[in-house]
Amino acid sequence: MAISPEEAAEQINMLRESAADFVRRGADMKGLRERRGQLPGYDAAMLRHIVELGWFGILVPEQQGGLGLGFAEMSVVLQELGKGLMAEPVLPALFAGRVIQHASNEALKERLLPALADGSALPAVGWQEGLGGLDARAIEARAQPAASGVVLSGRKRFVAGAAGAAGFVVSANAPDGYGVYWVDAKAPGLSVQYEWRADETPSGVLELKEVPVPSRDVLGPGGPRGLAPLERALDEAAVLASAEMLGVMEAALQLALGYMRTRVQFGKPIGSFQALQHKAVDLYVQQELTRAVLDDAVRELDADVGPQERPKVASRCKARASDAGMRIGREVIQLHGAIGYTDEYDAGLYLKRAMVLSGWLGNATAHRRRFAELTRGAVTV
Amino acid sequence: MTQQRDWNALSDEEFRRIAAEFFETHVPKHLKFLSRRPRWAEVSEWYMTMSRHGWLCPAWPQEWGGMGLSQSKALVYMEELERSGAPRVMDQGLMNIGPLLIAHGNEEQRRRFLPKIISGEHLWCQGYSEPNAGSDLASLRTEARLEGDEFVINGQKIWTSVAFDATHMFALVRTDKTVKKQAGISFLLIDMQQPGITVRPIRNIAGHEELCEVFLDNVRTPRANLVGELNAGWTIAKALLGFERIWSGSPRQSTLALLRLESLARASGKIDDPAFVDKYTQVAMDVLDSASAYERFAQIMRTGGSFGVEVSMLKIWATETCQRVTELMVEAAGDLGTLLGEVDVNGEPIDILYPFLDCRAFTIYGGSSQVQRNILAKLVLDLPA
Repeated sequence: MAISPEEAAEQINMLRESAADFVRRGADMKGLRERRGQLPGYDAAMLRHIVELGWFGILVPEQQGGLGLGFAEMSVVLQELGKGLMAEPVLPALFAGRVIQHASNEALKERLLPALADGSALPAVGWQEGLGGLDARAIEARAQPAASGVVLSGRKRFVAGAAGAAGFVVSANAPDGYGVYWVDAKAPGLSVQYEWRADETPSGVLELKEVPVPSRDVLGPGGPRGLAPLERALDEAAVLASAEMLGVMEAALQLALGYMRTRVQFGKPIGSFQALQHKAVDLYVQQELTRAVLDDAVRELDADVGPQERPKVASRCKARASDAGMRIGREVIQLHGAIGYTDEYDAGLYLKRAMVLSGWLGNATAHRRRFAELTRGAVTV
Repeated sequence: MTQQRDWNALSDEEFRRIAAEFFETHVPKHLKFLSRRPRWAEVSEWYMTMSRHGWLCPAWPQEWGGMGLSQSKALVYMEELERSGAPRVMDQGLMNIGPLLIAHGNEEQRRRFLPKIISGEHLWCQGYSEPNAGSDLASLRTEARLEGDEFVINGQKIWTSVAFDATHMFALVRTDKTVKKQAGISFLLIDMQQPGITVRPIRNIAGHEELCEVFLDNVRTPRANLVGELNAGWTIAKALLGFERIWSGSPRQSTLALLRLESLARASGKIDDPAFVDKYTQVAMDVLDSASAYERFAQIMRTGGSFGVEVSMLKIWATETCQRVTELMVEAAGDLGTLLGEVDVNGEPIDILYPFLDCRAFTIYGGSSQVQRNILAKLVLDLPA
């Protein structure tokens, strides 16, 4: 049923308000510190609350048990969760959900997407290998045809949300081209190890040793366009990561502004000093630019602008968010002075989350390079 | 003669199409995309063309001969005017003092001045800044003393654009030296064609003479030319039209600069230099993000919303981005970046230095970047004084 733009805006505001309320009540920096270096890297109780609120199902179509809403709705929830550093379990699963949704295996969608929406089985994506990078084709994992399906071998790295995932979307080379496959977390031949990211959340390394994938678990068979579902989901996830980043930078900047209003040196609040005021304004400008580009990107994703324009706006969005988030994260430490450098103060938590989000799914340099390749020097404004 | 239409009944898209067509049809070809501000004699014909068609004053009510455009339609008008490459006319009357008189003037002042702006008989300039009152404008010292029914004005104004072509000046003057500086300022309308007015052009770093000094030596203006109450000038001058606040942060200048940079990069072959492409992509994306931010505020305006001083982030980003684009242009030009005027770049004439020099002013006029930051820090970030 079509609703008016005013009603849509009102719905989004209500969603934002309920997410903001959830974060106000649930943000727990003490718990976050205690979970550092621990699997699965998030609070299981909080995850259940998020499931109950239905947010895992925002982007899942109604026929698969989701809410069938858009990126505008998902974006505001992630912004708010980002403010409380509470988005970690959500984003990687959403990313995987998008690959599944864009792939062609309808039966698998019927099985996996309802389980994502109700939180009973969260998926993750293994798409990078070696030293990482934005090129989804730079992979060596193999999908060998077998009697019923394929057999996967290879090593996937930088898998966000790997701990606690019920299964993985995995890309591999098949004889006819790249394909995308669903691998159950308990599949024989699969082992998962962890590296630790800047914010001390786990990053999975999947070891695949002749893992059998039955035909029904082939998300998208190997072919010349076999990575299209993954590439589309990558653009979408980059925009969603930017939404979380916007929340992180807003919270970090607010923390610094609060400190600047109250911290007295030389007999005055340090926020009265012009050098610090101008620095804070520059951070605010970066935050607002991120918001503006994110708005554009979300609108274009919801309008499904197609494979020509989508990667351009996704790269613009992620480049700005990554740059702005890193800059705000760093400068917020500086605006605090020594206290900002301590582990017990929250500024460092925001910086480290910004570092993870900045690099995940391509940092600013990677996205600027991709934007340059996509436009080849002809930026039509 | 003047076409009265309810423009606001059209959709923005429809009005945009009509505006684009009007400017396309009527802007004289030889005056498009000038890289300098033309003198009145060159553009008076274009001014009168707009006047005849009722297209001169977008934001004025129709009863005064304007188009009666809403803020959002006025913004579309400005965007299409700019896109057409139309030359800048003497626009202080139609853009600034006209709307100000409509809002704060009295009926007699409106009757006396508004029709002459439309007829091109009165050409206005703005007398605000003084040698010792720049960013701290309220400390201005040009003094007006009431003698009978006349103000007698003495002092000096500076950075007055195209004062040499103006017949009138609207000015902020000190009328009370005993109170807080903002509370002793009045808003006066002054006839420039009288003894005691001396205009001296100031050559800028781009080699152009648009800005002027204006000396006022026992200059007289009738009391009837006081706008608003005595000593209420500061409040009146500070009230800006909604669309003007967003317009100063539009991406038009940085977009134009980027197109010039693209031309240079293609003509010179720099477009194939990866080191250049890295920097180019960065500034190009800065320009696009500037456009996104501008659109965000424009959209708020279109849907009838309002915003506060946070809009000044647009001006900071748009103007500083424009400067970075022109800096890269000079750098990318290498040896050519030392040559004045249009230079031959493999057969293509490109003026490399003008955009760089011209846009130094953008971060200074209309509230410098630093003043904008002060305002944002206090009013938006709520930082202490």
